[in-house]
Amino acid sequence: MAITMTQAAEQHITRHLAHRGHGIGIRLGVKTTGCSGLSYVLEFVDDQQPEDTVFDCGDAKLFVDPKSLAYLDGTELDFVKEGLNEGFQFNNPNVKEECGCGESFHI
Amino acid sequence: MEISDNFFEIFGLPVSYDIDISQLSERYRTMQRQFHPDKYAGKPAREQRLAEQYAAVVNQAYNELKSPLLRAQYLLSLHGVDGANETAITRDPDFLMEQMTLREALSEVRDANDSHASLAEINEHAIGEYRSLQKLFSECLGAADMDHAAEAVAKMQFFSKLISEIHELEHELDEE
Amino acid sequence: MVLLQISEPGQSPEPHQRRRAVGIDLGTTNSLVATVRSGTPETLPDNEDRHLLPSVVHYEADQNISIGYEALEWAGRDALNTLISVKRFMGRGTTDIKTLGDQLPYQFVSGESGMPSFRTSAGDISPVAASAEILRALVERAESALDGPLDGAVITVPAYFDEAQRQATKDAATLAGVKVLRLLSEPTAAAVAYGLDQGGEGVIAVYDLGGGTFDISLLRLSRGVFEVLATGGDSALGGDDFDRAIAQWCCEQAGLGSDLDPQQQRQLMSAARQAKEALAEQESVAMDVLGWQGSLDRHTLNTLVDPLIDKTLRACRRSLRDAELDSDEIDAVVMVGGSTRMLRVRERVEETFKREPLVNIDPDRVVAIGAALQADVLVGNKPGDEMLLLDVIPLSLGLETMGGLMEKIIHRNTTIPVAKAQDFTTFKDGQTAMAIHVLQGERELVSDCRSLARFELRGIPPMVAGAAKIRVKFQVDADGLLNVSAKELTSGVEAHVEVKPSYGLNDKEVTRMLRESYTHARDDMQLRALREQQVEADRLYEDLSAALAQDGKVLLNEKEYHCLEVALDDLRNVRESSNHREIARHIETVSKTSEDFAARRMDASIKKALAGHSLDEIDKGL
Repeated sequence: MAITMTQAAEQHITRHLAHRGHGIGIRLGVKTTGCSGLSYVLEFVDDQQPEDTVFDCGDAKLFVDPKSLAYLDGTELDFVKEGLNEGFQFNNPNVKEECGCGESFHI
Repeated sequence: MEISDNFFEIFGLPVSYDIDISQLSERYRTMQRQFHPDKYAGKPAREQRLAEQYAAVVNQAYNELKSPLLRAQYLLSLHGVDGANETAITRDPDFLMEQMTLREALSEVRDANDSHASLAEINEHAIGEYRSLQKLFSECLGAADMDHAAEAVAKMQFFSKLISEIHELEHELDEE
Repeated sequence: MVLLQISEPGQSPEPHQRRRAVGIDLGTTNSLVATVRSGTPETLPDNEDRHLLPSVVHYEADQNISIGYEALEWAGRDALNTLISVKRFMGRGTTDIKTLGDQLPYQFVSGESGMPSFRTSAGDISPVAASAEILRALVERAESALDGPLDGAVITVPAYFDEAQRQATKDAATLAGVKVLRLLSEPTAAAVAYGLDQGGEGVIAVYDLGGGTFDISLLRLSRGVFEVLATGGDSALGGDDFDRAIAQWCCEQAGLGSDLDPQQQRQLMSAARQAKEALAEQESVAMDVLGWQGSLDRHTLNTLVDPLIDKTLRACRRSLRDAELDSDEIDAVVMVGGSTRMLRVRERVEETFKREPLVNIDPDRVVAIGAALQADVLVGNKPGDEMLLLDVIPLSLGLETMGGLMEKIIHRNTTIPVAKAQDFTTFKDGQTAMAIHVLQGERELVSDCRSLARFELRGIPPMVAGAAKIRVKFQVDADGLLNVSAKELTSGVEAHVEVKPSYGLNDKEVTRMLRESYTHARDDMQLRALREQQVEADRLYEDLSAALAQDGKVLLNEKEYHCLEVALDDLRNVRESSNHREIARHIETVSKTSEDFAARRMDASIKKALAGHSLDEIDKGL
């Protein structure tokens, strides 16, 4: 089981963590909600949970809880710019259907 | 609105002239942390309006209590005495005489050799007098001698006005 | 495709519930927009990666409007139709404009409410309308960067802006279709950007010298609370005046008269500005303008600008006196505004405060960044955040009394929001009406103060002079905007005005201008309104459900509880409809039904806060 991220994502995560001044990494997860059932979680992490799986990606650490990991296995986290808009994107091979905007999905 | 009408109670302070100003400020900030309308951002409009009203009362209470003159006037009003009334001191000719001398000195500051120094001298004197009147007021209030307390407040008004005129003159001298 | 941002632990938003908020620095020379993404506040660039938007609007006869750099290109060729530094005219009357100097290249006409407009080939344009164009350009930039409509903006104003100038700024935002979360003082915004960045405590002095305004603010920062202690400044002094002083010097050197045409004036001013900027790097600069060639060195520049800098330092000393602070009690001095790049300014400020000023955040961007941080909190993206800003009114508010004197009701540097009432009486037997003239300013004479509004309390029952008791109540909201009401206490007769300053737009004008600007965008407006109401309904639903679960059983009887439950269910059902008016009506109903509950909860928390006082008294052994 593995989760990876692009260099762009790593750079931005490192920068945001530095600005925030505290935190040990980023949490990736899914929660049940939204128009197609599931949505992504992307949060700063201050405390590691005992059941978390930790992925070291260069300077940034990724934390994933076991339930989410099943949905996220093989995902690559990317940072993209679309015109003036910029942010993170989950390239998740498990997704079958997405709502139009990609904020929630179905497996 | 059930917030207390008594400004001292709002901050949980004893109804007294001699309050701890740093304690007042700390409690003021604690109250605002809780009731400032910004803390109700995203809450229903009704709650925001209520918060705005509470915050306005808390601000007013803080403003009145932190100023030595307004606090004294407020205490007088709690005792049913109109603190803004100036007639009480007309009976004290010595005081009026002193005020006239001080004002004369103030008007001569511009012509003095060292305007800033002579203004500073008047300022120091005025602040000294202002402080002893505050002490006097506190004592009269403690002894429930409302007549003399009111007289002290009326005299404080004179000095408060004089001090703000001194500040204004300081600013004008600065401008020149 | 939605691009995600990193949230604080446990605060990932629901899909489609991300709230988009920005801070806007609507400056005299340049404007900026900033937002907080993944916890980091950043100014947003345009397509060409430029963060600043010159505050310039150019109008063509065919109604074509250009804004920013594009408009700036017209400045030299088409001065009359290129509006620069419009912020200086916000909320100003025709007489104010005369005192702003006769060097202005514009033609002014009196607008509908005594407010001057610029005569351009596209018609008469008010400063408010021109500012709205600038705001609109920034909002569009932000909406494309955040990929959706904005939920609100914090717009900054100079601390020294009076009621009329604040109201004009808010009107401009209304015209631009952006919801104002708060009007925030520029120096306060800068203090937020620095204060949070450095995690500091203590007294901060913010020296803000922009293109057209100067502000000084002193703030105390204590555990996330920014308390403005005193503020002062000059709303008609800025970097433009430095340029003008240099331009005048050039005129004298070149033997040019004062009869320059607008184009020549512009060229001269821009040459002056370039020379000023060049002298930040070098000792002397060669100038070549309007056929005159010469050079300007730092020493000459210093003698030209020192009188202007002196003016700002006097304002600093005054604010120190107001706050009853000595200059050695200041823990940090923060520099804001492009004009603080001038070395001379930094030198003199350091001399005055005996402390090296902080310049590590770009002085052009620091205000927008602070505003973005506040916007993020106000839009609800950071629940539980410690930050709180306690701002003040910069100028006293009062009433005209007998003999043309101004009686102050709320003094300058009073923390807002604030409410204060004062009682007046009639001075003639049988007097049935009382004129109320609302003023702003520090001077004794009414004629030296700014007139904000006049209204009349009528229907006072005839009584002998001095028997009527008229209570006038001033309420200033958290944006620094004023509301005045008057009531005769023995009879209960009331009058009320929302103070629309004499030089602002009246509501009719705002409505008309809004209609004009939105005829093409009606569908957009409908959609936006629906979305706004749905968000509001969701918020109300969530908040009230949570409140009911927490305190409902304690503070409500069974019937009241049931009533609220039913109202909430209705609200949830109607939220799915596409009729924004219907949703708004239900929101109103639920709010009304829950009014009492809200008040009881507030009272309960006040009691708790008071209990807190007594607890820490026990702690301290009192």
